[in-house]
Amino acid sequence: MTRAHFKKTHLKRSLIKLLQTVLILLATLIMLVPILWIFLAAFKNHIDVFQLKLLFTPTLQNFLTVFEAPYHLGQKLINSTIVAFVTVLIAIPIATMAAYSFSRFKLVGETAMLVTILATQFVPAVVIVLPFFVMFRDVGLLDTRIGLVLVNLAIVMPFAIWMIKGFIDGIPIDTEEAAMVDGSSRLQVIRNIVLPMAAPGLLTAGIFCFIIAWNEFLFALILTNREAVTLPIGLALFKAEEGDLWNLLSAAGIIIMVPMFVLALLIRKYFVQGMTMGAVR
Amino acid sequence: MASVSLRNLTKRWGSFVGVDNQSIDIADREFLVLLGPSGCGKTTTMRMIAGLEEPTDGEIWIGDQLVNDALPKDRDVAMVFQNYGLYPHMTVYDNIAYPLKVRDTPKENIAPRVQRAAEQVELSGFLDRKPKELSGGQRQRVALARAIVRTPQLFLMDEPLSNLDAKLRVSMRAELKHLSRELKITTVYVTHDQIEAMTLADRVAVMKDGVIQQLGTPDEIYDDPQNLFVAGFIGSPAMNLVNGSIANGVFSSADGTPMVNIDADDCSSVTLGVRADDVTAIDKGQGFTDAVVYAYENTGENTLLTVLCGGQRIIVRGDRHLRKEQDEVIGITLNAANLYLFDPESGLRLRDTGVRDNRSR
Repeated sequence: MTRAHFKKTHLKRSLIKLLQTVLILLATLIMLVPILWIFLAAFKNHIDVFQLKLLFTPTLQNFLTVFEAPYHLGQKLINSTIVAFVTVLIAIPIATMAAYSFSRFKLVGETAMLVTILATQFVPAVVIVLPFFVMFRDVGLLDTRIGLVLVNLAIVMPFAIWMIKGFIDGIPIDTEEAAMVDGSSRLQVIRNIVLPMAAPGLLTAGIFCFIIAWNEFLFALILTNREAVTLPIGLALFKAEEGDLWNLLSAAGIIIMVPMFVLALLIRKYFVQGMTMGAVR
Repeated sequence: MASVSLRNLTKRWGSFVGVDNQSIDIADREFLVLLGPSGCGKTTTMRMIAGLEEPTDGEIWIGDQLVNDALPKDRDVAMVFQNYGLYPHMTVYDNIAYPLKVRDTPKENIAPRVQRAAEQVELSGFLDRKPKELSGGQRQRVALARAIVRTPQLFLMDEPLSNLDAKLRVSMRAELKHLSRELKITTVYVTHDQIEAMTLADRVAVMKDGVIQQLGTPDEIYDDPQNLFVAGFIGSPAMNLVNGSIANGVFSSADGTPMVNIDADDCSSVTLGVRADDVTAIDKGQGFTDAVVYAYENTGENTLLTVLCGGQRIIVRGDRHLRKEQDEVIGITLNAANLYLFDPESGLRLRDTGVRDNRSR
């Protein structure tokens, strides 16, 4: 290879790299600008909100106001937290059992079941929200946290089963067989070997489910009105006669987003952790 | 410690037959090697003994117990897996201790036994490590230590050395042999490597297509193969097999080249077997017949000559000072005292069919 040629390819490579960086920055900017706007608005006074200046007197008043009457965001925060936590606490153990069975046993109609479970994810929520409303009204589950937990379970379970099945598929069967020959029953194998090895996967699935339940909007909107209202629905409270209260809306928005950011960071850490490394070969 | 008895053992998946109605009696303290190419049913046989695979038919006896319906944990066996099957979330110590813990061994007995097992496989300094911090050979030792930490009735080893590099394999093989003679526990060992089988086994069962082709000591398998498959599978390089015919006490290859004088009746179609060590390479015109050198290989400890003779390739082992060039014409002589005759149709050794096979006993 001649020196000129080498220089040329080198230049080409740097150009492509530059282009990549620019594109990534652009995409990030498009996604982050609204969030940045919300962050700024949350610390502004009502009158500053519509001015796009970066220099203003920041205030924490918005974060206090949203917890006061008539907004009572605290109640909604508690509802959201309880609903999301209980959903995850029920979903993960059940999904783990289902995923283990799908992964390790030959079941009758296994493929059909798996596809059906996945297919439920493709049904538009709007289509089934009214039947849910009618059913919940008849059994008295409207505007209850239990009702919301049930709905959220229906939403996250297929997702959790598929995700955890993927993690369990990744555990070498040799390891389980070794444990069985070493003297474990099937349940001991699951408790001593599978669960610890799948732990990062279970945690990741749990956090994903938590995020889905936390952000769930449509069902909560239709199925609650006073007692069980969650945070995303609570945002609607800030539409007042004098217009949208953007500063309060933004403060509430941050309260919804910050736990998600923290959880997303946690997942990232566990997502890349290769737990099966060293089990075989 | 126990004997093992497989009676009419069969494993089928649909129409595919993995193991076909096989019976073996393995004596107490015996080291039995199941040897064969991949897909021959050797691993399936072992997995059925371990209880990881359910036999379609037949009986498995360990000691005086019929274990067909027993769970793996109730069979009192220890197994070493090809991929080791270590527990990656546990330290080496916990890996080795697991069979004891899960069987409710009193706590005070666990530590000394783990220590002893670790010493036996020279792992004492690594007990705090996780498997991923170990080399392949060390992982293999952990798997071994986990198997010997208890005193099971039976050891099962499924190609335990096949993931190691060639050099490590040789040294681990010697260690395994040493350990097995020290522990004196009945062992079933699966491998496709005939050298492992020859070196480790008390007896070897050569398998193909779910059927045991021959069961015998390494010497019997090597010196007295019962059929073409065993003859071609055992030995490195494999036995030379030449198709041809016998007329007037001379064996000629298929294209009519006379190759060796043989004390046998006439036969129009026969396969002659001769090991590389039983063919001598000398100067052109000096041997029984001439041959052209197809390839010359020097392995260091000896030399291998592949020659073309009678339209077929024959491998000759020479001493380490032998030097030949490709395409050189040389003479070869087959050792008439060490020849084998097979029926090319059935593959069976010809012993009592009118043809006198020099090696028949």
